[in-house]
Amino acid sequence: MATVEEVLEFLPRTDCGQCGMTCAEFAALLVSRDLSPEDCPVLHEPEYAGFIEALHEILGPAEAAITAGMLIDQDKCNGCGICVAVCEYHLGNCDEARLGRGPRPQDKVVFHVVNGTAVVVHQELCTRLVQAAEKCNKCADHCPTGAITLV
Amino acid sequence: MIESVICTGCGCLCDDLDVTVEGDRVIEVANVCLWGVNKFIATKKFHSKKDRRRLLAPQVRRKGRAFDISYDAALEEAGKILIQARRPLVYGLTNNGSWAQEAALRLARRWQARLEPGDLAFMAPYYEALARHGLYWTPLEEIRDEADTILFWGANPIHSCPRHVVRYSVFSRGRFTERGAEERQIAAVDIYPTETAKFCKPFIQIDPGQELELLQGLAAHLIEGQEPPKRVKGTKKLVKLLSEASFGAIFVGRGVSYGPARKLWEGLARLVVWLNTRVPFSLFPLASDFNSVGLYHLLLRETGSPYAPDFGAASGLSSHPTPVDWREVDALLVTGADLFWFMSEDQVQALKERRVPIIVLSPFANRTTAKAQVVFPVALSGIETEEVAYRMDGLPVELQKLISTPLRPDHQVLADLEQILGGSTGG
Ligand code: SF4
Ligand code: SF4
Ligand code: SF4
Ligand code: SF4
Repeated sequence: MATVEEVLEFLPRTDCGQCGMTCAEFAALLVSRDLSPEDCPVLHEPEYAGFIEALHEILGPAEAAITAGMLIDQDKCNGCGICVAVCEYHLGNCDEARLGRGPRPQDKVVFHVVNGTAVVVHQELCTRLVQAAEKCNKCADHCPTGAITLV
Repeated sequence: MIESVICTGCGCLCDDLDVTVEGDRVIEVANVCLWGVNKFIATKKFHSKKDRRRLLAPQVRRKGRAFDISYDAALEEAGKILIQARRPLVYGLTNNGSWAQEAALRLARRWQARLEPGDLAFMAPYYEALARHGLYWTPLEEIRDEADTILFWGANPIHSCPRHVVRYSVFSRGRFTERGAEERQIAAVDIYPTETAKFCKPFIQIDPGQELELLQGLAAHLIEGQEPPKRVKGTKKLVKLLSEASFGAIFVGRGVSYGPARKLWEGLARLVVWLNTRVPFSLFPLASDFNSVGLYHLLLRETGSPYAPDFGAASGLSSHPTPVDWREVDALLVTGADLFWFMSEDQVQALKERRVPIIVLSPFANRTTAKAQVVFPVALSGIETEEVAYRMDGLPVELQKLISTPLRPDHQVLADLEQILGGSTGG
């Protein structure tokens, strides 16, 4: 998944403030999918031709993530990370998460917590998508704030 | 990216944060909860829930209006307050690093002031009970690895220390707790169901006044082996849970008794003493301020008491278990706490009417800085300056500096203030 640093490479980095924030903050909202590249007015200028497309490419398809079935309500989530620790996929594939620590940057995870809220990274790893028969609900079941909806 | 950074959001001092820095700004923090991220990203526009403004320049207040001034001018203004005070109080300190706490204690000594921890009523009696009973102690990692029984007492970790349950007490898996929450008994006692209740079985809901009664009931059953005269609902379930434990911990929050917690800690400590005759069992406060524990370690080391030391007492140093009588204070220095957030409107008004001057050290603007005569903005410990802090189980950790700031660390400001009173350079 894209990191804020990678995304920043494709932003004007002028902190012009037209989006109401700085480029870095804008980048964080791109990564968390609260905004899309089109929301930066400067990127529509000719000298940045191709940047919006490049950003879509590194961010990956947002719509796919939603139709695939996991929504995290950013307003409810408090970043406790219970979902990350109990996730069925992490149990077998991410030692750090299994033991209750935050995943390392290089670990492949379904989601992790960034800036205080859970963010989906590799939706495709969720076992709900792999094994259609028995549907896992662990993350949503254990979330204390009811922030996760699986559809 | 700077890996494995320690968070100063609460007494968990989580040590697994990955921080992305650009120039002198933190732009992203991985593995931090919402509570902790506010320290790292102050101008966080994408979470309007908590937008805390940083303070950038020292300020003085004249005729109700605040003016930016230089650091030296602010020291001079503060100096006048220091020198004129007769019954001064140094207040707060639970959100300061240990170096700052040491500097504040030195200043209090020289200023002949009383020093009052912000959470005195809750935390100090814990240390008193600990000293009296000498309970079994174990680090949080061992609780993660071995504990099969956890009891939250008036505590809502999901709110005050959000990752506690994942890192150490409920969901974490360790050496002998491979199945995590599935093989632990998790219980809670509180006056109303919280997010924490979701994974607590049993969750014992009591009425506000029933806490000590419940404790007496537990003691009667477990220690004296008899039926208590009056039994609070849920007693039997807790008796069963505790008697089946082979390794456990009780984490206590301030949820149930906002009043004096002495009897509560004494009752819990007696219970744990009994448990300790059979199994390893620990008792901890769920410290929500990141270095509250460090402050009590310092007080015990330096004054021999966890209570509020008074260096102005005519009869020599005395320590007070009861909170200060604000009517007796004629000058205030606040650091590592937002005093006016905790005070009632009447108390704030009374201080104002008596024109008690206030000096504040804070990285962020808050209710107290909005009323203070002199405000010193300070660097954030563990982000902009190095420090030391004690985790809720008493483990000291070193906090590192991640980015630069022109602001001074709080221990330096405190040492400069001490010097006005004729102290050595401190350091
Ligand atoms: S509008 Fe674009 S260039 Fe301007 S601050 Fe926002 S992201 Fe940066
Ligand atoms: S549904 Fe199961 S596998 Fe998928 S993210 Fe949630 S816990 Fe993980
Ligand atoms: S469990 Fe829920 S509240 Fe906690 S991090 Fe996951 S989504 Fe957020
Ligand atoms: S639980 Fe406490 S120490 Fe850990 S990330 Fe949250 S605020 Fe920081």
